[in-house]
Amino acid sequence: MERGRSSGLASLTGESRTEMLEEFDSLVRLHRPRVFRFILASLRNRETAENLTQDCFVKAYQARERFRGASSAATWFMQIAANLVRDHESSSRLKFWRRMLHPAADVADIGSSIPDRQQSPEMLALVQEQVQAIWAAAAILPARQRTVFLLRFVEDMDLLEIAEVTGMKEGTVKTHLFRALQSVRARLEETK
Amino acid sequence: MNNHLSEQGVFMYLIGDISLEERQHAGECASCQAKIANLATPLTQFRGAVRNWSDRASVKDRAAELRWTVIASSDHLERLLLPVSLDIPWYRSLWSSINESLKPQIPLMDLTSKPVLVQDIWGQYGRQKKSWVMSLALQSAVVVLLFAAASTKTVQQKVAHFIPLLDPNLAAYEPKQPPAKNTMAGGGGGGDRSPLPASKGRLPKSALRQFTPPTAVAINLDPKLTMEPAIIAPPDARLPEVNIAQYGDPLAKLGVASNGPGSGGGIGSGIGGGVGSGKGAGFGPGEGGGIGGGVFRAGGGVTAPSLVYKVEPEYSEEARKAKYQGTVVLYVEVEPSGRAQNMRVIQSLGLGLDEKAIEAVRKWKFRPGYKNGKPVTVVATVEVSFRLL
Repeated sequence: MERGRSSGLASLTGESRTEMLEEFDSLVRLHRPRVFRFILASLRNRETAENLTQDCFVKAYQARERFRGASSAATWFMQIAANLVRDHESSSRLKFWRRMLHPAADVADIGSSIPDRQQSPEMLALVQEQVQAIWAAAAILPARQRTVFLLRFVEDMDLLEIAEVTGMKEGTVKTHLFRALQSVRARLEETK
Repeated sequence: MNNHLSEQGVFMYLIGDISLEERQHAGECASCQAKIANLATPLTQFRGAVRNWSDRASVKDRAAELRWTVIASSDHLERLLLPVSLDIPWYRSLWSSINESLKPQIPLMDLTSKPVLVQDIWGQYGRQKKSWVMSLALQSAVVVLLFAAASTKTVQQKVAHFIPLLDPNLAAYEPKQPPAKNTMAGGGGGGDRSPLPASKGRLPKSALRQFTPPTAVAINLDPKLTMEPAIIAPPDARLPEVNIAQYGDPLAKLGVASNGPGSGGGIGSGIGGGVGSGKGAGFGPGEGGGIGGGVFRAGGGVTAPSLVYKVEPEYSEEARKAKYQGTVVLYVEVEPSGRAQNMRVIQSLGLGLDEKAIEAVRKWKFRPGYKNGKPVTVVATVEVSFRLL
């Protein structure tokens, strides 16, 4: 559904300003949850994720003239979001404070968010353990690998889309994914 | 076809970089599917968890946004997403308190109706001292009353009073049954119309059911179904025993083996499948099975009973008024004691004369009939004549 909304931006270059604003607003409404989710999963901080989501759409609005329509709006927004995340992580000034304020990932939080509640307590505990293991593994992944991993396994993007979003070659994406999976699986097997 | 997915292959499958053949194989091979699921299931759970988490986070975010915005009354979803506790910021509460203090006081409402004191009917009363004391007093009063009542002389006397228990003797009121007959009746007989009298021999076993009658002369030497012969008699009946292997009438004379001149199988001169001169499947001169003999009839070695003492019968009132005359014929059995028993009316006269006749004959005395020098019960008919002088 989200991927299928590529026609939205095409009319972004319409004459009427209000029309265009409405159009953009609807796009934001549509894509906001996804962008927010990606940033949240990458940075694990709700406030930062909110700010960056806001930034993402502001940047998209400012750069709307430069959007060529070569990719879908979803990919475009994700591209901006991925860049923002990377910029945010690379700023060493923030890194220090982030570590001070949020030393650990919200592991308990993710564990309690397992969707299907209609299973036995044993199964639930097992699944919770597994999810927490993956979450912990993702936390210590290198930034690129994690971005790629989240895009693939949380956002369900295929390789070409990921390549476009991250600006990497498809082979590079594959390699990053492969390594990410390896470390995740190693972590999973540790828990078993 | 040995192209199972390697570890790398599983990774590539999950990454989405896989050839068509491998994809087909993964769709068919159960072991490869298990391998993939091993890793894919936690990843799926992880995706779900992350999505849930982010949704919840954004809901919180949304609720914070909505805190001081007006929500349309129809927007149920947004109302639903509002945080539970809406704490009012200090400046708002300050403003509202100032506002309240500045505004003129609203005059008190003039109440036209007054509340009426209603008796409290439901509620927790707790422990009331008064009722507790009352209950204690009542219960102790009851106890005291019981003790007082029990300690009076009258009660003690009544309790100590001894009531003798009597053994009620109900023997006089119990129904009396006539004593069971000590003598056995019945008998049987048979034969195969042989010209010779029945020969001496032993009796077959007694049973309550006869399948085959005894024979002194076996006609069928090779029966298809062998059955031990029997006579019908109670199992505890005492049968005469003769030490002869052959079946026969134990009371007959020794002679050539014969079944006797009777009929209907068996041995003897009677009828039926028994042994002896009677009728039926028993032994002896009686009828209908068993052992022993019934009543005799006069003649053939049995002498007839004769009248010794006679009482004239009375006339009944009705018959006298009607000037009724005639003869009542009665069937009687004259016992060895000389009394008539088992009377039956053979020829009735009516008007109460039958009863009068039986009454009279019961007082009569006979000389019993004899068989072989011994008195036996003999059947007789008695005519009682009623004549008006």
